[in-house]
Amino acid sequence: MKPLTVDSVNAPADAGIPWLAELRRQGLEAFQQLEMPSSVEEEWRYVDLDFDLADLSLADGPGAPMAPGEYAIPSNGHATIVDGTVVDVDSPAEISVMAIGDADPALLADAGGSAIPADLDRFAAAHYGFGGDAIVVHAAKAAVAEAPVFIDVQAVTPGTLSLPRVVLVAETQSELSVVVVYRSPDEGEFHVVPHLQATVGDNARLKVTTVQAWGSATTAIGQQRVVLGRDAHLHHGEAGIGGALGRLHFIVDIDGPGAHSEITGLYFGEDDQVLDYRAFINHRAPHTTSNMFLKGAVEDASHSVFTGLIRIEEVAQRVDAYQTNRNLVLSDDAGAESVPNLEILANDVKCGHASTVGPLDADQRYYLMSRGLDRIHADRLQVRGFFEEAIGRMPHPELAEPIRAAVNDKYVRAQEEGRL
Amino acid sequence: MTTALEVRDLRASIGSVEILKGLDLEVGFGELHVIMGPNGSGKSTLCHVLMGKTDYQATGSAVVAGHELMGEDVETRARLGVAAAFQYPTEIPGVTLRELLEELAEQRSDGADIRARIDEAAVRLDATRFLDRPVNEGLSGGEKKRSEIFQLAVLAPRVAVLDEIDSGLDVDAVREVAEAVEVMRGPDVGVLLITHYNRILKYLKPDRVHVMVAGTIVQSGGPELAEELEDSGYADLVAQFGGVAPEAPEGDFLAGL
Ligand SMILES: Nc1ncnc2c1ncn2[C@@H]1O[C@H](COP(=O)(O)OP(=O)(O)OP(=O)(O)O)[C@@H](O)[C@H]1O
Ligand SMILES: [Mg+2]
Repeated sequence: MKPLTVDSVNAPADAGIPWLAELRRQGLEAFQQLEMPSSVEEEWRYVDLDFDLADLSLADGPGAPMAPGEYAIPSNGHATIVDGTVVDVDSPAEISVMAIGDADPALLADAGGSAIPADLDRFAAAHYGFGGDAIVVHAAKAAVAEAPVFIDVQAVTPGTLSLPRVVLVAETQSELSVVVVYRSPDEGEFHVVPHLQATVGDNARLKVTTVQAWGSATTAIGQQRVVLGRDAHLHHGEAGIGGALGRLHFIVDIDGPGAHSEITGLYFGEDDQVLDYRAFINHRAPHTTSNMFLKGAVEDASHSVFTGLIRIEEVAQRVDAYQTNRNLVLSDDAGAESVPNLEILANDVKCGHASTVGPLDADQRYYLMSRGLDRIHADRLQVRGFFEEAIGRMPHPELAEPIRAAVNDKYVRAQEEGRL
Repeated sequence: MTTALEVRDLRASIGSVEILKGLDLEVGFGELHVIMGPNGSGKSTLCHVLMGKTDYQATGSAVVAGHELMGEDVETRARLGVAAAFQYPTEIPGVTLRELLEELAEQRSDGADIRARIDEAAVRLDATRFLDRPVNEGLSGGEKKRSEIFQLAVLAPRVAVLDEIDSGLDVDAVREVAEAVEVMRGPDVGVLLITHYNRILKYLKPDRVHVMVAGTIVQSGGPELAEELEDSGYADLVAQFGGVAPEAPEGDFLAGL
């Protein structure tokens, strides 16, 4: 295994891409300067980080890939990245799917604009400093691919850190559809700092679903950024259903006038899982719209956190932005925090948020039981309905069934085992 | 032969506020009884207390086809044959009416009968159009009532409590709902219909009409009572038996204690 030292990544696959080379340099530098975040910091107050990245090691090479899982869907092109290394690529006709080492740097000239800053935190720094391989999905101008590209991101070698990266580029007027599934076995400890970045050009559309199906002893500190051009359209779905600690820091920069960002997510925490979502929606151009709809449930002693910031810059007049976060707390020891924030510098905007945290609704239970359902099945139906609202708005209907099954099974199992 | 519903000295309160103050009522099988009464007199509370809503502290007795309801949970009461059409039906986001009834059919040994009634009643009561929509969500006032009567037709209860099932319905819908009540009513079923209006009674033949004021039945009579009330209103009865005023006299209605 390779420790995190300067020479542990001596010939990165992406060396030919200038902006990545620069981020790599910055990352190495920042890694020396930045400390592990501590829970005294507001940003990290709900997270207990009991490790230091410096003590972790990278796998020497990719381990044996996992068998196809429940989220494998019919796709149009696919790629697999194992322990941070691209192992398998199948590129369809309409668009290009490739390992970053095989990509023409000219294709990725603009992609640097959607990279997470290297000094965001020690995790981002490590990602750039010691990561290297990436999957690139590129839709050329006006290219249209209906069926999704399927990207399978795996961590399989226990005890390792992996730093996988996915780079999406949808050029002007193109339509790109991508499903990214993150997974690792339940057995063994894993640390992962995955990055996903997307550049959506003028009039282009990106549909992307990310499924966090990490194993139960995996710590995943994910970072994501999407940049939208003029009249660009993002439809992003996120499902958080695994991991010991799942944190996702995601940024949407709405830079082009008329662009729209639609984000729908759900999460379900069990055991002593911590799910920590930090969303930053930045309206930086006029006539832009965004909507975020996030639903989560926590049971056992799990905790979820949603911190959402909608920031509307002074230039961004006529913006319409909304954020909804609803949480079901199913056990006494479980907890959910919901902290929506608005930062509005423009004066002609429509902006709002709704956030709730609470147990199952007593009136719904009463109504369902009055129709003859026992309490167990009434509650099951209510939980199902709660998530159904989110599932129905997600971008890839082909993932609805496995996602539905994953969340509902968690609840049914907890009911059957008397854990609620 | 047992009665469909026999209520004795039913009391219910929320906190220190007593809403039902010793209510007696008997509905035979095959009978249709109507309850009228001013706003806030406790009619919906009666409906919820019979169904077993836990918001109320309730005492007394309510027996359905020989089975005591008090102390049982909501589902058990439903199994014993009580069903209620609510005045304000609850929205169940993300769960369609079909899923709800299908789930019930799955749980029940008579699931096949339930499924057959879903198909039959959906057509008869024009409910197909919201069968695949979330329960009560976004339905108009009248559609919610239609959904409630449809669900009751599927549940086929022994005792049906219909709380303002006719409110907010257009003229044609009132007739259809009245017909549905007639279909539901049968030799094995008792119906308790709470209403403010005579118009649904044009299509139905109630056996008894009761007036509820301040948590008790203060007057009972035949169908003609409903018409009299339409003219006279409740003012005299409220003056006599008390409405909102907490110190209102309660007459002989507590005499049996
Ligand atoms: N959950 C509750 N919390 C507080 N007060 C309640 C509750 N339920 C009923 N009440 C009170 O009890 C009284 C009776 O209410 P109820 O809804 O039973 O009246 P009603 O006869 O059905 O009136 P309406 O004709 O307007 O439907 C009212 O004063 C009401 O405010
Ligand atoms: Mg009422």
